[in-house]
Amino acid sequence: MLSFLNQFKHGQEMRESKDEILVGELVRAMARLKTPAIGFNANTGAQMIHFKPIGDPILNSIVIIVDRKTGGSMIQQAVIGSKATIQVQAEVKNYLSDPDDLVAMYRTDIANIFKMPMLGDVKLDHQMNSVFATKRVMIDIDDYILKGEESIARMTQLITSIVGELKQKLTQYKKA
Amino acid sequence: MSAEELEKVFVSLVDFSWKKYNERQHNTHMDELLLGAVIASTVEQGYSLIDLNSDGVNHFLRFEHLPSKTRLIFQLTNQSEDLVTAKVLGRLARVVIGYGQMVQNPGAIWQALKSEFKSGFLDAAEPGVITCDADLTSGYIYVQVPLIIDLDTYFSSNYEVNYPMLQQHIGATVHSLSKYLRGRLGA
Repeated sequence: MLSFLNQFKHGQEMRESKDEILVGELVRAMARLKTPAIGFNANTGAQMIHFKPIGDPILNSIVIIVDRKTGGSMIQQAVIGSKATIQVQAEVKNYLSDPDDLVAMYRTDIANIFKMPMLGDVKLDHQMNSVFATKRVMIDIDDYILKGEESIARMTQLITSIVGELKQKLTQYKKA
Repeated sequence: MSAEELEKVFVSLVDFSWKKYNERQHNTHMDELLLGAVIASTVEQGYSLIDLNSDGVNHFLRFEHLPSKTRLIFQLTNQSEDLVTAKVLGRLARVVIGYGQMVQNPGAIWQALKSEFKSGFLDAAEPGVITCDADLTSGYIYVQVPLIIDLDTYFSSNYEVNYPMLQQHIGATVHSLSKYLRGRLGA
């Protein structure tokens, strides 16, 4: 058998794995919310995870991007801690085929398309048959990992509140 | 045909297209759905995800149980990304599960393990064959086993995951691997 051990970054310190640990906790929390992960795109800078909310009448998908900003080095970890931005994007997809509905959909919220989201703001955007709502927040990774049920509860609370806010903005765009 | 009738035909064509497109999409998501389910199940068992990697075809995961420092490694490969293959043969995936333990003198132990048990000398194609491997940098000895799994055992057509079944299967494999490794190390 050809070893696949060389696919991993050996000798790294645990603080370098904090974003992966956070991704693991995130995937677990979302699984408990009946929103399994269906896509991963990981690189050294940011990790993007695509989730499918099962049975949700409004949302078609949720994409979460974890982008670690600080804490990669021992000094940063000690002085600033491990900060990361979490960007949550929720999608409403309309399986529209009636030409009148398609035209009507693009009349909505034109101003929002050009809005640049500030941290904590919600941005709405239309693309093809989908409407996206995006919000970005900054977190301290240590608050959300390695504390057992306490960190899961925090993670769940964070995600449900952001997704709830995005869903509220998107509900009006869902066509029957 | 009237304009209304023409629009009705167009609507039915688009609806059919969406249905078929979603069917294909679901099939191509299966390997990453497995990846997510393995992460959720293993983290639920007390392990922390410490590495996540992909070469486009294979997906690699590494977990550590931080209190005991034992590690689990996974290589996941979808063998039925093509919808026709999936429909004829079923949705199959090749999964290599490895269990690793930190040892005091990994170099010496690795040398002591007989060459026939070292993974570099064995045929990788056969499932169920337990092999040894070592990560000398971090001081771990691993045992690993390739398996072929039926994805429909764990996933329904609407993305629902049977986590208890997946946890049971991972747990049973890890139990056997850890027992084997302890036996090989004489612990």
